[in-house]
Amino acid sequence: MNPADSPPPIVDLKDVVKRYGQGPAILDGINLQARRGDFISLIGPSGCGKSTLLKLISGLSPISGGAITVDGMQPIDAREEMFFVFQEPTLMPWLTVADNVEVPMRLRNRHVASKRKEIVRESLALVGLAERASYHPRQLSGGQKMRVSIARALSMSPHILLMDEPFGALDEMTRDHLNEELLAIRQKRAWTAFFVTHSVAEAVFLSNRIIVLSANPGRIHSEIRVNLAYPRTEETRLSPEYQRLVGEVSVLLRSVERLKTTAAHA
Amino acid sequence: MRKRLLSLLLPALSTAGLIALWYLGRILLGPDRLFLLPAPHEVAAALSAKGPALVAAARNTALGALLGFSLAVTVSSLLALFLSLSPRIRAGLYPLLMGLQMTPVVVLAPILILWAGPGLASVVIITFLICFFPMVVNTTQGLISTDANLVDFFRMCNADKRQEIFMLRVPAALPYFFTGLRIAATLAPIGAIVGEQTAGTSAGGQGGLGYLAVVYSSQFQMAAVFAVVIVSCLLGFVLAGGANWLSWLALHKWHESYHRADL
Repeated sequence: MNPADSPPPIVDLKDVVKRYGQGPAILDGINLQARRGDFISLIGPSGCGKSTLLKLISGLSPISGGAITVDGMQPIDAREEMFFVFQEPTLMPWLTVADNVEVPMRLRNRHVASKRKEIVRESLALVGLAERASYHPRQLSGGQKMRVSIARALSMSPHILLMDEPFGALDEMTRDHLNEELLAIRQKRAWTAFFVTHSVAEAVFLSNRIIVLSANPGRIHSEIRVNLAYPRTEETRLSPEYQRLVGEVSVLLRSVERLKTTAAHA
Repeated sequence: MRKRLLSLLLPALSTAGLIALWYLGRILLGPDRLFLLPAPHEVAAALSAKGPALVAAARNTALGALLGFSLAVTVSSLLALFLSLSPRIRAGLYPLLMGLQMTPVVVLAPILILWAGPGLASVVIITFLICFFPMVVNTTQGLISTDANLVDFFRMCNADKRQEIFMLRVPAALPYFFTGLRIAATLAPIGAIVGEQTAGTSAGGQGGLGYLAVVYSSQFQMAAVFAVVIVSCLLGFVLAGGANWLSWLALHKWHESYHRADL
């Protein structure tokens, strides 16, 4: 396809700079365009500003320079299009699972009550927690809480899903399982995803694009395309191409880590 | 079942031990100072003999305690909401609140007598002053301790300030609020009794337990004074129990503190 014919990017970052107060730049010269349907993983050493980048796209934190547009709008005006999944489940412990999922719809005044309940049921069914609707968060396991958090995001039918290491605190089995579920849901609801992670395997399994960031200040170091066909399943992890990509990204990440230590010693 | 039996048996044993010590104390005191420590059975007799007076006094004290306590809950909740709005408001008002807390309430009693007159109003104000501080400090702390991610989550949902306060900050502050409430509930009867002794009145049957303790001790009715102590203690249990019950009602379904068996 000719670049001139391609549709405009759904998320467009141009020369984005972020600093807190008069401090040094956390992120510097970030240029990144996401096409509709992209699953972009952000990976890099700690302190490289991966999570900050999500906060900028969501409009939760203002940029210090450059420009961000989301679907042609300022991030803060495009909140209806996006949803955020935090590192922790971020549920309200005093509400039941179903009420937790309903909160964003109530806050954004979406739908009548009966329609909301229906969407809650659908979203919980999508993450396999339909029977836990009347539970309180403390009665769920860590993985189940994260599923509720995802169901809550899905209930808003976002076009863009921003996920900040959502499975970081979970054991590897649960994480692999949730990765597969996430992709299965995405087959049904095509959103564009930004996914912050520390896990190379997770990044390769989920994304079609992996952005490797370097630290001090956070810059885009390189981008790797993952041309594994969707839907991806458990078998994908056994394929030679998957293994090769995991190796490639790991080597890249290690070289970026070394950059960081040399910079620190200099 | 065994656990429950044990939880009844242990306090019963320690109470029995205390009563035994009490009798032993009387033996050690010797005959000419025996009047200082009436025997448990004499106190029991006084409890029964002074029953109607004790019940009436307890009712008056409970009224003062409950009114002062309720006033403290109301005012502290509103003030905590206001204080939670900004660090500047807190910086401006906390020193004043601390100052109020540092002032011994008993010193204020003479002023209150002049302002409100001796009687229920003064007792209520003194109870209020004693209960108010732990409530406002705890509730404010709760209102400003909301999980930062949840606040971001509300902002992502385009929640307005009113929704953020009443759907997020207030429910998240409930465990702190009830901590303050439970402390205040144990202080309320103390406040009321101190209030009665410093700014109370006995006119028109308004005398409470504080008044009764002073009267009986001036008449050297030691067993009756001890009876007042026991009734005061029971009143404290009733109020603290009520606060614990309210806390349980509001929190037991979701809060960790009601579910950790190992704590």
